[in-house]
Amino acid sequence: MGGFILKRSLLAVPLLIIISFLTFALNNLSPLDPAEVVLRAQGVPQVTEALLMETKAALGMDRPFLIRYFDWLTSCFRLEFGNSYITGTAVWALLGPAFMNTLKLTMVSVIAILAFSVGLGVLCALQEGRLLDRSIRGISFFLTSMPSAWLAAMMIWYFSVKLDWLPTSGMDSWASYILPVIVLTVSYAGIYFRLVRSSMLSQLHEDYTLYARACGLQESKITLMMLKNSMQVATSVFCMAVPIILGSTVVVESIFAWPGLGTLTVNSILGRDFPVIQAYVLLLAVSFVLFNTLSDLINAALDPKLRKEF
Amino acid sequence: MKRKLITLLAAVTALALLAGCGKAENGQTAASSPKQELVYATVKDINDMNPHLYPGSMPAQGMVYESLVENTPEGIKPLLAESWTISEDGTVYTFQLRQGVVFHDGEPFNAEAVKQNIDAVQHNAVKHSWIKLSTKIVDTKAVDEYTFQMTLSEPYYPALLELSMTRPYVFLSPKNFIHGETKDGVNGYNGTGPYRLIEHQTDQYAIFEANPDYWNGAPKIKQITAKVLPTGETTYLALQKGEVNFVFTDDRGTDSIDTEAMDRLIAAGDYQVVRSEPMNTKVIVANSSKAGSPAQEKAVREAIWHAIDRESIARQIFSGKETPAETLFSANVNYADIGLKTRAYDLEAAAQLLDDAGWNVSDGGTRTKDDKPLSMELYYDAASISQKTQAELIQNTVKGLGMELKLIGEDSSSIANRRAAGTYDLLFNQTWGLAYDPQSTVSAFTSESSYYHATSGIAQAEQLYDKINRVMATTTEDQRKSLYTDILTIVHDEAVFIPVTNGNLTIVAPSGLQGIGFKQTQFELPFENMFFE
Repeated sequence: MGGFILKRSLLAVPLLIIISFLTFALNNLSPLDPAEVVLRAQGVPQVTEALLMETKAALGMDRPFLIRYFDWLTSCFRLEFGNSYITGTAVWALLGPAFMNTLKLTMVSVIAILAFSVGLGVLCALQEGRLLDRSIRGISFFLTSMPSAWLAAMMIWYFSVKLDWLPTSGMDSWASYILPVIVLTVSYAGIYFRLVRSSMLSQLHEDYTLYARACGLQESKITLMMLKNSMQVATSVFCMAVPIILGSTVVVESIFAWPGLGTLTVNSILGRDFPVIQAYVLLLAVSFVLFNTLSDLINAALDPKLRKEF
Repeated sequence: MKRKLITLLAAVTALALLAGCGKAENGQTAASSPKQELVYATVKDINDMNPHLYPGSMPAQGMVYESLVENTPEGIKPLLAESWTISEDGTVYTFQLRQGVVFHDGEPFNAEAVKQNIDAVQHNAVKHSWIKLSTKIVDTKAVDEYTFQMTLSEPYYPALLELSMTRPYVFLSPKNFIHGETKDGVNGYNGTGPYRLIEHQTDQYAIFEANPDYWNGAPKIKQITAKVLPTGETTYLALQKGEVNFVFTDDRGTDSIDTEAMDRLIAAGDYQVVRSEPMNTKVIVANSSKAGSPAQEKAVREAIWHAIDRESIARQIFSGKETPAETLFSANVNYADIGLKTRAYDLEAAAQLLDDAGWNVSDGGTRTKDDKPLSMELYYDAASISQKTQAELIQNTVKGLGMELKLIGEDSSSIANRRAAGTYDLLFNQTWGLAYDPQSTVSAFTSESSYYHATSGIAQAEQLYDKINRVMATTTEDQRKSLYTDILTIVHDEAVFIPVTNGNLTIVAPSGLQGIGFKQTQFELPFENMFFE
C-alpha cells in the first residue's frame, strides 16, 4: 500500500506543473497589455504612455515569458502568489480567508449532501418502485432542475423576509449557513442520491444478497453489507464532490453575499486581477488532483485488486 | 413500521432544523429601523481606502477624507481652508487653513500636514497625470502653522476645482504614511472627515462611526455600514427585511436594484426615492479622423444624431431613470448653458442630410457614395445590457435610412484601447461627470489616450485645441465663458459627440430620513447632512 501511495502521489506532480503552465499562459495570452490591465484594475482614471512604461518596469513585465513563469512557479511553492493588481496586497492574504470561508460552507454542505444522498438513496432502493421511492425521486428531480439562483431567492424571501427566521445574507452567525447549505444540498443531493440508489439496487440483485436472505440473515445486516459494497462506487464520486462544490459556489455565494472564493473570483475576473485568478485556478486544480488521488487511495484500500492493477 | 419511523424521523429533523434557527440578529423591519443608523448596500467591497490611490470606494472615501475646498452649485466654497488668495499672475495659491481641526487619530491638521499630503501625491505624479493640476504644481510650502502655499508652473483656472475632488488631493494623517509616502500603501485610514472607519471585514461590511470631534459638529447619523451585496435580488429582499435601509447608484452609474423593485418598496410606504439633477451625459463618440470611415463626414454624424429617439430610450430602456440629452453637457454644468440649437429626432431631416451629402440609396436599400456603402461599426460595452439595447434600437432605425451599423460588444478596457488608438467608427462613452465637467472632458478632447481621434478630423480642430489650451490658463470669468462657448459650439456643430441621455444619481432611503441631498459629483453623498425626523 505504501508503494501505491507513493506512486500515485508522484503522478500528481507533473499534472500540477502542466496545469500551472497552462494557467499562467492563458492569462498571458490576453490581447490586452498586462500593464494596462493593472492600471485599469486599480481604477486609474486615464492611462498614459508614461504610466504604462513605469508600471511595466515596476512589475517586471518587460522580462521574457518563461522567466516570469519560472519566478511565479517557484514563488508558488512558498505560497507566494504575487500581489493583487487592484489592491497591491499579497494574493494569499485575499485568497486565504476567502478559501477558508468557502471551505466551511463546502464542508457543511458536503456532510449534508452525504447524509441526504446516502439516507434517501438507501431508503429509495429498499422501497424500489413504491410510492415513497417514486415520490422522493419526483421531488428530487423537481428540486434539482430548479436554478439555484431562483431557489435561493425564494428561500430568502420565505424564510428571511416573510417568516423572519434567518438573515438574508452574509456570514454573521451559524444561522447564516442554513439557507446556502440547503440550496447547495438540494442542488447536489438530488444527483448523488440517485447514484447511491442505483448502486444499492445493483447490490440487491447480487447472488450474495440472495444467499444472505436464504440463510435468514437479519435484513438490517444485509442492508449494511450492501451499503458497504455500493460505497466503493460512490467513494470517487463523493471525493470529487468536494472540489466540484468548492469551485461552483459562485452563484450561491453571490446571492447570499458569502465572502468566499466565488465572490472573490467574480470580482477578480471583472477587475482582471490576474494574479488572484491564477492563484485561484491553481488552488482549484490542486484540490481536484488531491481529492482524485484521495479517492484512488480509498478505493485501493477497499479493494486490494486495484493496487495490483496500478 | 420501521419505514414509517424513518420517514417520521426525517420530517422531525427537517422541522427542528428550521424552527431552531431562531431570529436573525438584524431582524428589524424597515419600519422599525434603528434611528440615526444607515446600512447601505454596495456591490463591491470598500477596498483599499488610501485616498492617494484609486482602488477604494469613492462614497466611502468621501465620508472619511476632506479637501481644502468644496465644489457647490454656487461655486467653490471653503472646507479645510477658510480662505485663499491667488497671485495676480495666477500661479501662487495661498490658503489660510481652518484651525482646531484634528485627524481621526488626534494628529493636528496644519500646513505641514497639507504639505506632506500634497507632496506625497506629487511623488506619484505619473499615476495622477489625468488630473492636470498634478502636472503644474512646482512648489509647496508651509508658510506658518496655518498658512499653506502652492506654486504652479503656469496659471491653471480649474486648480481649485481639482483640489475639491474626492481624490487625490485629500488629507490623511501623516502618521499613516509609510516612510513619508503613500504611493506604496498606508498603515491606517485617518482623515479629518465627518465619519471614521472603525471596522472592515473584506467582502462583508465596513462600519463608519460619526466623528464626535468633527470641526463642523458631529453628524446626526451615528453609524453608517457599507454591506457588500453583489446581487440586486438579495439587495431588494434585504431592503424589504430592513437589514439594509439605504441604496444608491454606484460609481459606474448602475442602480443596485431595478425600477420595479423601487416602486414596490415605495408603495409599501417604508421608503422614498430621491433623484439628483443630471450628473453626466451618455454619448456616442464619432471618430472624425478615421480614414475612409463615413464618420469623418459631418452630415453622416448629424444624420445619426437626428436618428436617435432619445425620448424612447430614456423612457423604455432606462425606465425613466435617465432623461433625454440634447447637448454634450446638460445646462447645470458650468459654462454649458449657452443655448445651443438642438437636433430633434427627425428621420426626414436625417435622410435629407444624407441625400445632400451624396449618399444615394442603391438597389439593395443601402446608401452608397462612390460605390462605397454607408456602413460603420458601433462599439458598445458588452457588460452593459442598456448599451446593447440602445445600439440595437439605433441600428434598426438607421437601417431604414439606408445606413448599416455593425454592432460589436467588447469589454470596457478594449473600448478604452480603441478610443486611444482610433480604431473605431462609433463607440459608446460618457462624460466625466458633474465636478469634472466641462474641464476634464474638454481637456480629454486633446488627449491622445482619450478623445483626440474623435476631434482631430474636424475642420476647426486647430482652433479648438488652441481655445482649450487658452481656457485652462484664463484668469477671468468672462474670458472663460467666452472660450467655453466657442469650444462647446464647435464640437456641437461638428456633431462628434452625439448625446443620448443624461444619467443621474438615485437614492432609495427610509421614508423618515431627512436632509437627503447630493454633492457636485456622482461619486459621493453628503451623509453628514442626513437625519431622521
